[in-house]
This record gives sequence, C-alpha cells and structure tokens, in this order.
Amino acid sequence: MAARVGIVLVSHSAALAEGTAELAGQVGGGTVTIATAGGTDDGRLGTSIEKVSSAIRRADTGAGVVILPDLGSSVLTVRTLLADEPDDLPGPLEVADAPFVEGAVAAAVTAAAGGSLKAVLDAAQEARNARKL
Amino acid sequence: MPENCEATITLTGDLHARPAGALSVAAAQFSSAVQLAVGGGAEVDAKSVLSVMQLGASSGQEVTVRAVGPDAQEAVDTLIGILSEASKVGD
Repeated sequence: MAARVGIVLVSHSAALAEGTAELAGQVGGGTVTIATAGGTDDGRLGTSIEKVSSAIRRADTGAGVVILPDLGSSVLTVRTLLADEPDDLPGPLEVADAPFVEGAVAAAVTAAAGGSLKAVLDAAQEARNARKL
Repeated sequence: MPENCEATITLTGDLHARPAGALSVAAAQFSSAVQLAVGGGAEVDAKSVLSVMQLGASSGQEVTVRAVGPDAQEAVDTLIGILSEASKVGD
C-alpha cells in the first residue's frame, strides 16, 4: 500500500486533540496516521514545540504531513517550529487554515483515500465552507 | 464516451459519520464524478465527506447515487453497496 499523508492535530487541550483524532480516525476508516500534540509539556492547557515536533515525526510515513492547529497560539507554535528547524523534520509539511474538527475529518478521509499532500490540505481548508445545517 | 449511471436506495437506518467517511473514501477511488442526493434534493459531491454528512440522510429516505465518467457503473454499484450496509452500522 502506498504511503498515506499523515495528519498532526495541535490543540491547547490534550483531550481535545485526542478526541478529535479518535473521531477523524474512525470516519477515515482507521488507515491514516493521526498524531496529536495537545497541551503543554507539564500537562496544562497550551501548546508545546517539542510535542508538535514529536507528533510530526510520528505522523510521517513518507507522503508528507498536514498540520492542523486549533486556535491562536497553536498556530504561532507551529510557525515557530517550522521557521526554526525545518531541516530536522520529515517533509514536506503543510499547515492547514481550517476549522479543527471539520478540517481533521475531511483531511482524514482524503488521506485515507490516498489523496496527495495538496489534496489533503485542500480538503481541510475547504471545510471552512462546510455548513452544518 | 463517459457513462452516466444512476441508482436509488431507501435507507434502512440513518447515515452516520463513519459510513459517510466510507462512502467518501470509496467515491475517491473512481475517476468518475460521483454525486449523492436525498429525496430528489440538491446533489452533493460524494468525495466530500462534510457534504455527505450535511445531507443528513436518515432512515426511510431515498438516496440517489449518480456517476458520470469511465467507471460510473462500478462507482454507483460500490456506493449503493456501502449505503445498503451503512444503515446497519452505528454512528
């Protein structure tokens, strides 16, 4: 089986990241690697560059990784990491500007279908237009 | 010449998140364009899981699968198969 694009969920809350990964993983049929980076290194609400870096390494299976940050400073943490040490990380990497839950579900389904890095990124970002009602 | 195929199934259960994901993953394997509609309503792209979820297809409703492209018949058969199974699965 060809390598699938990996997904990293970055949240201020470990529980939010893990719950979203569980949901997206199940909707995607369980064939996609979704790694989480939730909370600070000492378990509080916040984000951690080390956790994001570790999650990217876990999510990569050779086809690249799409990173979804939840809000505010998680975006900053991801950007700081990518600006500081891009050579130490597997790649290619893309950061999705997308709603967290919908973006994760759409990305997981597209990755499960064997979509390219760009297709997975686009699926996550198109979730901005998704209506619930 | 591209085929244009269509089939309709009556759901025996609600279309939950996981079967919606299975439909979109399956639809993406075909080069044909694949659309879903509920009860003759607006068509949505079956390859977009959020659109499929937004259909809110529930038990007793008719879902129409329409495909246009070189593998349209196979796409319709596959998605109808998933829809017939999907209704038996939980959320």
